[in-house]
Amino acid sequence: MTRRLIVLAVIGVALAPLPLLLPAAQEAVAVRALLFAMMAVAWNLMSGFGGLFSFGHAAYFGLGAYTTALLTIELGLSPWIGMLAGMAVAAAFGALTGYLAVRYRLKGAYFALATFAFAEMLRLAALNSELVGGAVGLTLPVTGEQGWWTLRFDVGDPAYFWVALLLMLGSVATVIVLLNSRAGLNLLAVREDETAAAAAGVAVVRHKIMAIGVSAALTAVAGGFYSVYYLFVSPDLAFGASVSIQAILPAVIGGVGTVWGPLIGAAVLAPLSDMAATLVRTPPEFLAFLQGRSGLDVIMYAVLLIVVVLAMPRGLYGRFARRPR
Amino acid sequence: MRLKSCIAIGTFLALTVTACGGSAPGGGAPDAADASGTIKIGSIHPLTGALAFDGQQMSKAVKLAAEEINNAGGIKSLGGAKLEILGADSQGKPEVGQSEAQRLTQAGAVALVGPYQSAVAAQVATVAERNKVPFVIDVASADDILKQGYTYTFRLQPSSDTLGRYGARYLKELADRTGQKVTKVAYLHEQTDYGTSTFKSFSDEAAKLGLEVGPQITYDALKASDLTTELTKVKAAGVDALAVTGYYRDGLLTAKAIASVQPEVKIVLGVSHGAFSSPVFPRDGGAVAEGIYDSNFNYDATKPESKAVLDAFQAKHGEELRFIPFTSYECVRLIAAALEKAASRDPVKIREALAGISFETVLAFDGPVEFDESGQNKNATPVVLQVQDGKVVPVHPAAKAVAEPRPAAE
Amino acid sequence: MNRTISRAGLAAVVAAAVIAGAWARSGSGTVTAQAVLTGLLLGGVYALVAMGLTLIFGVLDIVNFAHGAFMTLGMYATALLASSAGLNPYLTLLVSVPLLFGVGYVVQRHMVSRTMGGSLAAQLLLTLGIAMLLENSLLLAFSGDTRTVPVSFDTPLRVLGAVADLSRVLAFVGAMSLAGAVWLLLTRTRLGTAIRAVAANPEGASLVGLDVRRLHALTFAAGTACAGAAGTLVTPLVTVEPTAGELFNIIGFVVVVLGGLGSVPGAVAGGLIIGLTEQLGGLYLPGQSPLLVVFGVFVLVLLWRPQGLFGRPA
Repeated sequence: MTRRLIVLAVIGVALAPLPLLLPAAQEAVAVRALLFAMMAVAWNLMSGFGGLFSFGHAAYFGLGAYTTALLTIELGLSPWIGMLAGMAVAAAFGALTGYLAVRYRLKGAYFALATFAFAEMLRLAALNSELVGGAVGLTLPVTGEQGWWTLRFDVGDPAYFWVALLLMLGSVATVIVLLNSRAGLNLLAVREDETAAAAAGVAVVRHKIMAIGVSAALTAVAGGFYSVYYLFVSPDLAFGASVSIQAILPAVIGGVGTVWGPLIGAAVLAPLSDMAATLVRTPPEFLAFLQGRSGLDVIMYAVLLIVVVLAMPRGLYGRFARRPR
Repeated sequence: MRLKSCIAIGTFLALTVTACGGSAPGGGAPDAADASGTIKIGSIHPLTGALAFDGQQMSKAVKLAAEEINNAGGIKSLGGAKLEILGADSQGKPEVGQSEAQRLTQAGAVALVGPYQSAVAAQVATVAERNKVPFVIDVASADDILKQGYTYTFRLQPSSDTLGRYGARYLKELADRTGQKVTKVAYLHEQTDYGTSTFKSFSDEAAKLGLEVGPQITYDALKASDLTTELTKVKAAGVDALAVTGYYRDGLLTAKAIASVQPEVKIVLGVSHGAFSSPVFPRDGGAVAEGIYDSNFNYDATKPESKAVLDAFQAKHGEELRFIPFTSYECVRLIAAALEKAASRDPVKIREALAGISFETVLAFDGPVEFDESGQNKNATPVVLQVQDGKVVPVHPAAKAVAEPRPAAE
Repeated sequence: MNRTISRAGLAAVVAAAVIAGAWARSGSGTVTAQAVLTGLLLGGVYALVAMGLTLIFGVLDIVNFAHGAFMTLGMYATALLASSAGLNPYLTLLVSVPLLFGVGYVVQRHMVSRTMGGSLAAQLLLTLGIAMLLENSLLLAFSGDTRTVPVSFDTPLRVLGAVADLSRVLAFVGAMSLAGAVWLLLTRTRLGTAIRAVAANPEGASLVGLDVRRLHALTFAAGTACAGAAGTLVTPLVTVEPTAGELFNIIGFVVVVLGGLGSVPGAVAGGLIIGLTEQLGGLYLPGQSPLLVVFGVFVLVLLWRPQGLFGRPA
């Protein structure tokens, strides 16, 4: 555990000067990579280490984003408090829906479809609720006091990157510490063989719900940061199916059930979408037909996803960094 | 274990750094202060995604306007400086709109035009505000964007409140002009903020005019695949007229359902409807589109200047310029007028010029473009269009019409 | 079989009560009749989508997220043939069904088969990847422009004061015929018996000499061909765009779970129930998205009877 935490600290120190080196437009890409990483790390805890395949992480992300946005707009609270509240709300929602799903023994595909349905119901509820701005969504105030407490900075300020980096490191550290605790070991035992774990006296339901709750809380942090950074949330951006997919993709491409996989996946995916956008905007001569077309970025994701699933089921990290077992 | 960790760190860092640094050559120092070069205007529209159909034409219209201004000698108060359009694709996604707006301002854009979707507009407006670069919204319906107290955001199209109120007024006037008695109006609208807020303004105004509004029938525009039941409710209510607010796809469903249910209403009027005044609506809807009205903003079809713009666009791109992209075209002319007036490339000065401008437009508005405190064009008003013989033509008010309104065949 | 009939009877009673309630709520017989008719017709389309999905889910045990994208492919085949070659849209079934059968066979043989027996996540993500690839390839090739395919002979038909367009009735009739054909295929042919054997026990089927890999590919292809047929049949009713099938995919899952895995009568009944829920739900809760009710029903079924109305407990 100590070694993993040291590695994490080295990553943090190495990445910290990045915004000072990168041009401003690239900093936005780097922040997006960190956001991807946060979501994937959280998803990986529940679905990779916990073995509960979620197709509805948008629910937790959206709850974090909306809670932070509402508390900032309505009560003028600091987004830090908003994020904490968002974590609590998302964890409670995750624990409740998780309890229902686990209690009624939903497994595999059924479990995934249930998480998906819960996220969709939240999306539809937000869409029709005046309180949270309906279909238009919520816009956070742009002007006002700047600083670390309000998390409001000038556009392109390196502070945004550092906040995201801090949150990402915190998420990974939580996962590392949890995995090395008694609870984490029990969780892995439950994933490997539920019956055996139960026979050995592990409280199966409780450990599953713990994984869901912690994962939901960590995802809510990503949602809270999203609303602070983009100053805007709407039902589709917060609860849409594409958000759930964004949480899954980096983890799968990097390596499900590994600590570092989601980070590698995020570091690959975020720049990829930016490259696709650049390519379509100013394509080289032989690709001139791509000018102004769209869909290329998602096609690249899709091909990568298919290749990873078929050719390296343990992801990039699992394929290249792990010694074969 | 050590090998693993080293590889992990190595890959992660290498990927992040090379990929971030290696993609776009963008960024760099702003060169807005460069006095000799072109004047850059950023254009952000959905060139891809569900609204690409209009977004692509909006982008073309913006470029056409800049070309025409350049051919006519550029910005004279700045020594004939030429305009350059920096295009960007919002993909219809707010976060992409935001990062693209950021990229454009860093590339030296002194003003931004766009973006069609309200959610994207809210994002671009924050970027404009923080960078102190004026942002002229061509089309985006939500009134909330201008209620944030922004000073750098302006909107050319009418507010949704104006559109709703004029809808009721025009409905009454149309009934009078065609000699039909209309007292009860049913209102069908998509259920999000766009439909709901338009409906509220409409019914406020209708109450003042002595029209009885009801029933109010709502539907989910994204998921609807049949509106027959909704139209049957209209029929069962026995009303004289039907007002509708919705988007394109559900607009087609509405027209189809009207044709099959036959609700026996005298007037079907869209209130800033996304389909009913689109030139492609008669093509897609065929016979069911015929006779449907829409109260919406439009170019002034009676002015020869409008025709000149339509012809120029047709000659260049071989397609008909629609009214939404026409609004984008007009935004560039408006910004050029502000540049002319400010005699400066400084975005702050351009904003000041815009705030105090009085600009003669070829859009069918109730006067020149002038902005109120919030940045809304206060003279922006709609006109009524009707599908007649497979074409969408302005029919009301008479001063801006090219045809008479046709009562529905009994 | 008796179980099926008694369940259908129960469903009919529940439906009658719900319809009576809706009548009381809306206060108009015509509106209720229209909602029921529209709900049934829509339900037929949902059943059609779910048919292919339930085959694949039931036999291969794969949650196929690409089903909607396959359906969109069918829509584009129809829209392109109808607009460029001027074909009657219903004639394009002769192209869309074989085309999608071929696509499905290739996809199963070369991609999905490699994840058979692997983790659930791998299969789900693979089909998700295929869906994203198909949808965005269509976007890249044809842009986001919407297309419509009008049916020249379309005309409203009247039943009990309610109306239905001929094109919707045709889609419904097509769906029911297809359901009958699939049911006959599964219950009355050797191939169908073999497929059911594979679904029930792949190892056992393999031991008695059945070519499980081939049967998997054929089933997947047949399911995909159903998606193609569904795409063609709904094309005159909807606006064709790269994401047009997505909505149907989601509702398809709901129907499959509601009806029970691999059950053709379940898909039909589930489709009709969801269609009616959506339309009558609109009468009960005006102003709310009908999908909210649909998902509510979905979650309840998942928790309370995950094997579905027509499925056997696992």
